[in-house]
Amino acid sequence: MNETTRALDPEAAPAPESPLALPIPAPGAMDGWLQHYETVVGPDTLRALEALAKRLKGHRIVMVNTTKTGGGVAEILHRLVVILNELGVPTTWEVMEGDDRFFGVTKKIHNALHGHVAPLTEEDRKVYDERTRIEAGKLALDGDLVLIHDPQPAALIGLRRRPGQRWVWRCHIDLSNRDPDTWEFLRPHVGGYDASIFSAIEFVPPLPIPTYLVPPSIDPFSAKNSEMEPEEVAAILDRYDLPQRGPWVTQISRFDRIKDPIGVIEAFRMIRARRKARLLLAGGGASDDPEGAEVLAEVRQRAEKSRDVTVLELPPGSDLEINALQRASTVVMQKSLREGFALTVSEALWKRRAVVASAVGGIPLQVLHERTGLLSRSIEGAAFQTIRLLDNAELRRELGHEGRAHVRDNFLHTREVRDYLAVFTSLLE
Amino acid sequence: MNPGAPFHFSTVAHLEYPAGPVATDFDTLREGIATVPVESLFYHTTRIAVRHPRAQDLPANDFARWVGTALQDAETAERLAFAGAQPVLPLEELRASLLRILDDVGHRKEPEPASEAAAFHFVTARSVKVPLDLEATDPELICEAWPYVDHGAAFYHLIEARVFGPASDDLIEWLKANGGRRMAEVAEDVLGGGMPLQRLQREIGGRWRRALIPSRLVRGTEASETERRAHARAVVARFAGRLRKVPERQTP
Repeated sequence: MNETTRALDPEAAPAPESPLALPIPAPGAMDGWLQHYETVVGPDTLRALEALAKRLKGHRIVMVNTTKTGGGVAEILHRLVVILNELGVPTTWEVMEGDDRFFGVTKKIHNALHGHVAPLTEEDRKVYDERTRIEAGKLALDGDLVLIHDPQPAALIGLRRRPGQRWVWRCHIDLSNRDPDTWEFLRPHVGGYDASIFSAIEFVPPLPIPTYLVPPSIDPFSAKNSEMEPEEVAAILDRYDLPQRGPWVTQISRFDRIKDPIGVIEAFRMIRARRKARLLLAGGGASDDPEGAEVLAEVRQRAEKSRDVTVLELPPGSDLEINALQRASTVVMQKSLREGFALTVSEALWKRRAVVASAVGGIPLQVLHERTGLLSRSIEGAAFQTIRLLDNAELRRELGHEGRAHVRDNFLHTREVRDYLAVFTSLLE
Repeated sequence: MNPGAPFHFSTVAHLEYPAGPVATDFDTLREGIATVPVESLFYHTTRIAVRHPRAQDLPANDFARWVGTALQDAETAERLAFAGAQPVLPLEELRASLLRILDDVGHRKEPEPASEAAAFHFVTARSVKVPLDLEATDPELICEAWPYVDHGAAFYHLIEARVFGPASDDLIEWLKANGGRRMAEVAEDVLGGGMPLQRLQREIGGRWRRALIPSRLVRGTEASETERRAHARAVVARFAGRLRKVPERQTP
């Protein structure tokens, strides 16, 4: 065994001297979550991550958002914080709490930034500022770099920034159709940061600070994405009384107007008029989304009038169920009207599913039309593309194959961590 | 380039950020291409390889794809794709080629501009370089290290450093200066093919190994029996290791 082989096998005995021996540094502390990634992205990628992390030695990072569960941001943070720590970059995660009034206001802000105008009242602004002031004192924000996620905790910078710290605002929302008044309210806070990060260039508004582009990512080993046996999938379908026989067309997303669940039902009615299929709309709410129940009731009412449509409300933590439902799908839809990034698309692509999705937000970065999935821009378009896929198993297979490769290269946590390490390094060195 | 100095492998992470211009038609695309820094041209053409390292074949560059889909001009898209498919072309030459193609469009009917939602946003990128604690003192050691460097490092040493420098990170120049002229020629030959990175890295590695067979045979005849046995054991162990653990990326 030469040095190269030995270095990749930590339990191997020392090798004899060889004229060709070249010590290849093995990935280091790979006994945690990152270890799983070796089989997917290879040890070379992990070595590169470790090399990048070394440059941040001695620096501490704090992540801040407003929910521990529900939604893509919390999901990403759960793993990213672990991975950064495994790489030797001490990282903590703080959750800024709020009450119903605060989250009502932040939901309004969220919708307005997506383009659904609901003007902020003076009272709303007061609620936002006061709650931020109350919560600011409860958070441990003593890192060298504080990464604030989304608009909810954006005002913390004015209350907690210490000299020498770097503050970065990470926006997961598409701001291309933002309501100007709402953005005017937020902009002074955002302008005080050292840098901002957006998921796609189309989302970026004019800002006086450096802006970086970092798409979000998924964890292929989480309960939501890891491999499953067909029997496990079947058992979960049974548990929800869902027939094994499909073909299933599904949209798994929060019950939110911008995900257009009503539009999905409309598209499915057109599909069902021409092909035999079943539709499943499944999802839950997030603890910071008070509108979810209202939308769900509306969707249920509409579904009752349609053939072969099932609506499932999934409680938080239904990751295995989501995994199974996606795997049981013949076509996965994501017919959003607006999106942040729509990681549900990457989840489906990772499982080699055929995807039909709207060309909004970060979806076109994931669905390369006719290469990794099919894009649509209307209800009729969604119906047409879904029928194409229902009719063509070979097309589903090809798109699924390329889709998985595309996600592996661009939308797994290792790539996002790599981008973050580059941003942190450029700001802290 | 300092002959005799070891080659230090580094990897890079790319910091991507907006370059400024936004195009909605041929005029604004031309204006953007004429004014953006060369790093942005590099991002939209050559860096495609980093974004799709494991693709079966490389997609066309960003300009070509946008012109094909948003402006629906297949002919111009084809010409832009061809112009942007030379990874180590000097970037001002690339800019001139792209502009010449767009100048020709003026003689034909101008298509409808793209909607704001389908606009082309120019992006640029800069690299954060980090050493990999891996150095080679002769071309054979480069060959040995090659399978263990990540796609980012391969792209950096074969293409990016060749275009932007520094010369000390240009692997092909290092090989030429350190007795690896044949390996350098192999790399240049394969680079011209415009393959996705993973295939390119494997192709170069395979051809390097084959190119080194004669010198290894000569050394084998000069080595002692003990050394030859140790080497044979190493080869078997490496093969057994591969059989034990086939990474998933090999069967995408």
